[in-house]
Order: sequence, then C-alpha cells, then structure tokens
Amino acid sequence: MGSYVIRRLLRTLLVMIGISVVVFAFVRSIPGDPATALLGERATPAAAAALREQLGLNKPWFINFGNLGNPLDAQYPRYVAGLLQGDLGSGLKSNIPVRDELASRFPATAELSIAALLFALLIGLPAGIIAALRRNSAWDNLATTVSLVGVSMPVFWLGLLLSYFFAVRLGWLPPSARLGNETVLEPVTGFYVLDGLLRGQPAAAWDAVRHLILPAIALGSIPLAIIARITRSSLLDVLGQDYVRTARAKGLSARSVTLKHALRNAMLPVVTVIGLQAGALLGGAVLTETIFSWPGLGSWVYDAISLRDYPVIQGGVIFAALVVSVVNLLVDLSYATLDPRIQYR
Amino acid sequence: MTAAVPAPPKTGRAPSVFWRRFRRSTPGKVGAAIVAAFALLAIFAQWLAPYDARSEPNNFIQRLKPPSVAALWNEEVAAAYTDPVTGRTNIWAAPFGTDDRGRNVARRVLHGAQLSLKVGIASTLLALVVGTLLGVLSGYFGGWLDTVTGYLSDVMLAFPSILLAIGFASIFSSDTPPLPIAALDRLFALNSPQLVTAMLAVSLVQVPVYMRLARAVVLSVREREFVQAAGALGASQGRMVFRHVLPNSLSPLIVQGALSIATATIEVAALGFLGIGAQPPLPEWGTMISDSRQYYIDAPWTMIFPGLAIFLTVLGFNLLGDGLRDVLDPRSTQ
Repeated sequence: MGSYVIRRLLRTLLVMIGISVVVFAFVRSIPGDPATALLGERATPAAAAALREQLGLNKPWFINFGNLGNPLDAQYPRYVAGLLQGDLGSGLKSNIPVRDELASRFPATAELSIAALLFALLIGLPAGIIAALRRNSAWDNLATTVSLVGVSMPVFWLGLLLSYFFAVRLGWLPPSARLGNETVLEPVTGFYVLDGLLRGQPAAAWDAVRHLILPAIALGSIPLAIIARITRSSLLDVLGQDYVRTARAKGLSARSVTLKHALRNAMLPVVTVIGLQAGALLGGAVLTETIFSWPGLGSWVYDAISLRDYPVIQGGVIFAALVVSVVNLLVDLSYATLDPRIQYR
Repeated sequence: MTAAVPAPPKTGRAPSVFWRRFRRSTPGKVGAAIVAAFALLAIFAQWLAPYDARSEPNNFIQRLKPPSVAALWNEEVAAAYTDPVTGRTNIWAAPFGTDDRGRNVARRVLHGAQLSLKVGIASTLLALVVGTLLGVLSGYFGGWLDTVTGYLSDVMLAFPSILLAIGFASIFSSDTPPLPIAALDRLFALNSPQLVTAMLAVSLVQVPVYMRLARAVVLSVREREFVQAAGALGASQGRMVFRHVLPNSLSPLIVQGALSIATATIEVAALGFLGIGAQPPLPEWGTMISDSRQYYIDAPWTMIFPGLAIFLTVLGFNLLGDGLRDVLDPRSTQ
C-alpha cells in the first residue's frame, strides 16, 4: 500500500508539472499582449515595453538561452520559484494577489459543486436503486428516461430555463449572485451556508441556500443522470451474482440482501464515477457561474482569458487541475476500503 | 434497454444480424429516427426555407414577435400576424417567433441544424481517427510510446475539458486564420474560421478518450489466439495491427463515436454560448442562445427553441449510441 501511494503521488506530481508547462505555453500563445490590453490601444510602444519589462514578460518563456548568464532567468522558472513560496503573482487588471482571490473564489465554486453533487446523489442514487430493483417496471422506465434527458440537456440552456421559470416568471428563487443585497455576512470559511450558521445568522444561511438551489440543479443535472445510470447497471450486475442468490436461499429478507449484500458491493463503480465528476463539475461551473453571476473560479478564469490576465489564468487552471487530481487520487485510495479484495502493490 | 441475452459468438457476423438486432432495440430505433429527421432537415434546409444569414437585413417592425402558432388562441398574437390589407392571419409566418432584429427564429434554427451536424460529426471523426491510431499503436507496441501517450492523456484529462477547449479556441481564433484552419473551413463550407477552431478544440478534448479506449481494447485483442496465429504465420507488424487487431477492436469505438457526437454537439454549442465558437450572425444554436440573453426575459422563445434543437439532436445521438451498444456489445447491456 505504502509504495503504491508513493508511486501514485509521484505520478500526480508529474502530471501537475505537465499541466503547468502546458498552461504556461498556452496562455502565452493567445494572440494579444497583456501590456496593451492593460494600457489601452492608444498606449505608446515605449510605455507598453516598460510595462512588459516591469511584469517580466520580456523574458524568454522557459529557458534563457541568451549569453547573459543565468539560464533560469526566464518566466517559467521564476513562476515556479514563486509557486514554491506560495506566491502565485497578482492579477494584472485587479492587482489583487491571485492567492487571495483564489481563497475567496474557490469556496464559492466548491460550495456550488458540493450542492450540485448532493442534489445529484439525493435523486440519482435512489432512482438507480429503484430502477434496478423494479427492473422493467414503470419506475425503471421513468428513471431511465430521466437519466437520458439529463445527459442530453445542455447545462447553459437548462440554467436559462430554470432562471426564466423559477426566478423571472414565478419569482420563487433569486436569479443570480450568492446572497441578496440586504444580507450582510462576514465570511469565515467562504461557504456561505456554513458561515451563516457559524455566525448565528440563520436568515443569512437560508438566503444562501435559496441562491444555491437553481445553479446547483443546473450543474447537478448531468452528474445526476450518470449516477442513476451507473447505480442501476452496477446493482443489476451484483444482483445477478451467485452470492446474492445464496443469501436469498439462506432465507434472508429481501431488504437485508439488498442493503447488506448487494448495495455495498455495487457502490465501487458509483464511487469511481462520482470521482470522475469532479472535473466535469469544475468545467460545468464555467457555464453555470456565467449564467447565475456566481463569483466563483469558473467565471473568474473565463473573464481572465479575454483580458489576457496571465497570472489569473495560470493560477486558476493549475489549481483546478490540482483539485481534480487530488479527488481522483482519493477515489483510487478509497477502493481498498470499499472492497477489501483490492490490494495495492 | 433490452433484456440480457446470452452473448452470441462474435465471429462470422453476417450483416443481416446487425439489422435484426438493431430492429429489436427501441432506443436505437428512436435515436436513428431523430438523427435521420435532423439530417434531412439539414440537407434540405436551403430548399425548405432559403436563407443567407450574412445578407439578411434587419426588420425591426417584426422585432421580438411571439410564435405565430399562438395566434390560434391568443388574439394579440393574431393581430400581430394579420395582414392589414387582406385581413388574413398567417399562423405559419414565424412558428418559433422572431428575435431582436425581426429574424425568423424557426428558419434560423433550421439552418443551424446543418452547422451543428457538420461540426459535431467532423470533430468526432477527427478525434476518433487520431485517438484510435495513437491508442492502437501505444497498446500494440507498448514501451516508450505507451509511456509518453499515457502521460499526455493523463495531463489532458486532468484539465476541465471546457477550459482546455476555451484555451485552444482563444489561441487560434483570429481574423487571419492559419492555413490548416482556412483549409478545413473551405472543406466543410462553414464560412467561419472561429467555428472551425471550436470544432478542433472539441475534437482535441476527445482524443484522450479514444486513446484510452482503443488502447484497452487492443491490449485484450492482442492476446487472442487468432492474432498470435497470424504472427506465427509470419504476418508483418503492420498487417497484424491493421488487418487483425484493429478490425476486431472497432465495436466499442463505434458505440463511443455515436455517444461522442452528442457530447461534441453540446460542447460546440457551449463554446458558441460563451462567445468563442461561431460568431453572429451565423445561426449556430449556442450563439443564438447567447444573443438571446439580452432579451429572453421578454421573448423566451428566442432561447427555448434553439435549446430544444440542441437537446433533441443530442438526445438522438445518445439513443443511437445506446442502440448500437445493444447490437454490437450485448454483454455490456443490462
């Protein structure tokens, strides 16, 4: 187990290095110059050159091949050196340290993603289980249809539909932002629902929940569909196994067979899929956050791309990739707990 | 979903078996019908309702009119579509309503079908060919090639795919597109380098999926007796890969292909929605929804119908994919 974890960590580290190199090169290949984007079209070339110099953008990307000494006097090595000291640079436009903004943006996206995943699990798991237990019944057909509709629904369209019907027409829920204008809440963790409870402001927590509902449903629709599908097929697979028949033959109750014998063993593929959804949720967050004006990671990075804000794009994407890698690592490691037959070597 | 049938032997499958099984698969039939309907609409769009998005003049008198079919039960709508001279109401004038420039939404959705189908299919085919080739070679030969491609696909899969696509599309979309993009633009007659860039971006994101799938399938097929027999008979490496291993690895790739056209259609529309793919006035569905964000609160039909078109197309390909899986890979269906 130990050596497996170490190898797995090394692999994650290598992937992270690859990602930072790719992001670095990608960002600098986007046509357009951050200095002119900052100063405006009418800036003198000299002023733009001075700003580039000040930001270090006049240096080579990866290795300094010039004969002026230090080969590491280039943008990437300097960025990595900063990264190792926890310095991600500052947003070119806002001049706020990327690390600080990440600290306020990430909880917003994480809160939204967790709410979306909870919604998906709350409906997807029971739907998949019922569909498998009552196979070919009306319930099964309903669950299959719902999951098919879920995977076929464009997230941005669903978001607009939800906001049109439930926010604009019916006025039941707010259409955008994380809190209403009149709600004042001093953040503790950045998860506003939690913060409201920690600060003893249940009204603020409730306001945060109301703002979460529509974006969470939009973001959770695809994971819901996938979880329902996998739960159904995995449970059907397990229910056909010999040991389930043996358990039934021993005279155990149907409830006990399902809950203790079948369901537990059917969960392995479901957990894998939930882990894979981490990346999909972060990606879907770009669209959902744009529609619901949610001040999270996705809308931040998306805006930064059009501004050519290199430090923000780099910091945001590398962090997102780190989160995806860590979630996948945790999922891999959880297999041994879920299924003792799996041993790592 | 059909009931689980015992897996029939896979070898020596006659073409008729495919159709016999496909006809039994309800999702497959429904999906094929939806896809065929959209394909026909796309092919005959110009004949059904001639349209040129770039030269259409603004028609502000007809601005944001509700769907004309509503004239049947709504007098206000009926008045809007009644000819003041003849006094006749044309309920088919604009069945999906009109947008902020008085353009007919139904006609634009119809012509969007062509763009969406072309782009969805082309990006998937490209990813399928490139990804499968890389996957087959790395699976068959292993060694450093396998290590390198495995590492690259790890890196690519760790990105949220839409961010990768946005990044790629931002690099290459400019007013003077590089030659390969201009060439593809001509080839597919899209007249929009930005849409071609979005297509390539979506394709790029799918490549690692095919690479992994093809590699996994090849690893299992490579060990089968008939491949080893071919090797023992002195077949060359190339012949072994392309005559024996690849043709026997195709089924899961075809199923994945139909499912990925669905994903690709959504992702191209999402890029259009974010303003990175097709640019106005092209009637690409995602771009139309993006336009409608300024006025959909007053005119929801400008957002509902293009979205419905995306949804139905994607649903069709998803059903078709499920049906093909029932036929080609019966063991995986529960």
